[in-house]
Amino acid sequence: MWLSRYTYRTLAREIAFILIAAVYCVPFYLMIALALQTAEQNLESPFAFPWPPHFDNFATAWNAGGDAALGPGLKSSIIITVATVVVLIVLGSLCAYTIARRIGRLSNLVYVAFLVGIILPFQLAIIPLYTAMSRLDLVGTYLGMIVLNIGLLMPLTVFLYVGFIRALPRDYEEAAQIDGAGVLRTYVKVIFPLLRPVTATVAVLIGISVWNEFFIPLIFLFGSDAQTLPVSVFLYARANETNTNLLYAGIAISIAPILVFFLFAQRQLIRGFTGGVKG
Amino acid sequence: MAGVSLSGVGKVYPGGTRAVTGLDLDIADGELMVLVGPSGCGKTTTLRMVAGLEEISEGEIRIDEVVVNSLDPRRRDIAMVFQNYALYPHMTVFDNLAFPLRARGVPKSEIRTRVERTAKLLALDELLKRKPRALSGGQRQRVAMGRAVVREPQVFLMDEPLSNLDATLRTQVRAEIVDLQRELGVTTIYVTHDQVEAMTMGTRIAVMRNGVLQQQGAPQTVYDEPDNLFVATFVGSPGMNLFHGRIERDGDTLQCILGEQRLPLAGTNGLVAYAGADVAVGVRPEHLGDPLAGPSDRPRLRGRVRSVELLGSERLVQIQLDVKPVAVDESVEAATASDQTLVTARFDAHADVDPGDVAEAAVRVERLHFFDLGTGRAIR
Repeated sequence: MWLSRYTYRTLAREIAFILIAAVYCVPFYLMIALALQTAEQNLESPFAFPWPPHFDNFATAWNAGGDAALGPGLKSSIIITVATVVVLIVLGSLCAYTIARRIGRLSNLVYVAFLVGIILPFQLAIIPLYTAMSRLDLVGTYLGMIVLNIGLLMPLTVFLYVGFIRALPRDYEEAAQIDGAGVLRTYVKVIFPLLRPVTATVAVLIGISVWNEFFIPLIFLFGSDAQTLPVSVFLYARANETNTNLLYAGIAISIAPILVFFLFAQRQLIRGFTGGVKG
Repeated sequence: MAGVSLSGVGKVYPGGTRAVTGLDLDIADGELMVLVGPSGCGKTTTLRMVAGLEEISEGEIRIDEVVVNSLDPRRRDIAMVFQNYALYPHMTVFDNLAFPLRARGVPKSEIRTRVERTAKLLALDELLKRKPRALSGGQRQRVAMGRAVVREPQVFLMDEPLSNLDATLRTQVRAEIVDLQRELGVTTIYVTHDQVEAMTMGTRIAVMRNGVLQQQGAPQTVYDEPDNLFVATFVGSPGMNLFHGRIERDGDTLQCILGEQRLPLAGTNGLVAYAGADVAVGVRPEHLGDPLAGPSDRPRLRGRVRSVELLGSERLVQIQLDVKPVAVDESVEAATASDQTLVTARFDAHADVDPGDVAEAAVRVERLHFFDLGTGRAIR
């Protein structure tokens, strides 16, 4: 017998969710619409989608010069984000693996220390951090920014990995051990591939966080060659305060890479939050 | 190939929980030893200690005469099949089979030859490119076996490898494992909680309970001559019927008094010392049967039929006797308060017996078992 589970209540719920989702899309729509308008279209009807769309705004925004240039900012953001994410995945997963698999007070203590690191606001330490980084000649450099990001985001990375590894059956490691694999081979060939869902989660969360970070790069990179995109966009926005369309075209360029990355990785991201390993 | 020997092996977990106590077990070269017992009896802990996955608190384990107590699992030259197979989910069947060889630095060309030979042996040749999630339960089980076989180890360790299969497949794979083990002649320790598996597969079986070895021997010996009440009830399906009886001397012979009924006993030497005392009497269902089917002079027990289970080839008849039951486990302690015991008898499939009838069951007295009520040990 065929039973219909699609009731009016389900329909109403679906419509409500679609409306909520639509509300979330409004700022995004406005950004795209404004980025594609000419100044005249903007005056006429600022909220309407422009037809024909005016793509020249993107070219103009991209070719802006001086401190407000988006190109160098984009390059810095890519270098800093990719390096931070890669190093955090390698170090964070190894560290979490040890914490998750070693039973004892010391590993618990280390784990608690990482948890405290998530809770404490890093802004409290910003002045001593700046002094220390400055003495080490790390202010205004890629390396300095990457090291700082790693330090700040390691607690979150370890937290995410530990939760996942603790739910992973030990059988895989034990099987590998009996099969003759050492600790490193077991980790590289067996464990790390099994961490793929949580690695994707870490990559997306850390990637978005580093990409969008404004306060730290503003302090540590402002005016240097390593200045990241949010700082460039900030300077770009100041330079284009009067031209709304160019301003939004610049903002659209700055969020495009991370948006594409998120769209590709969203399935893995959700699996990382919800699921374990399926054998 | 190698033998495995455990002497005085014990395991105490941090916190003081004792899992295994004073285990002595010798497994000969090429033998298939089945460790069997209920959940929590210490059989898997024992297997894991042999594998090196669990530290040994006391005693000594030797593989091929070498003490392996502190030897890393990968240096013990053993292979293990896990209960949930532990196939690496991100690798193909080929890579799963090749993993132990790669880990040991076997040359590439030899890896291919050995994996293909193993795949052929286990009918996995068509599945080499698949990942574990694309395999059925039976196929996964064969891949897990293959991963153990491909390395040609000294010892196989198997931890309930059939428990995830359905009943039909289990019977089939059971036979396949026995054939394979015989063909390869590798010493094997097989852990199961299923006594049917133990009986059908083992060259010898070792019955464990609460971390202590209860009895070891050939399956038929353990079935025919259980050393204690626990083994008597655990091995055999349906289990042995147990009830209180009083031994009395009648001239030169002994009699067993069961409530209002008496059974003449055929000389069991050890029983003489129990004359005038209560003992636990055990009888297997097949030794309690249809009076019309055997010799007519067999002593009989009478009782009311409570239920009849038709199995096609036979009927299992539950008869209520006016005797006190014997408790083996704490969980059935309550039953001992009763003065009636339900016993199971095997009758012919066409026997005319129905619930509510008063029926007689013929007893093969020479196959009765007697146990000391205090110690639970067999009286012989």
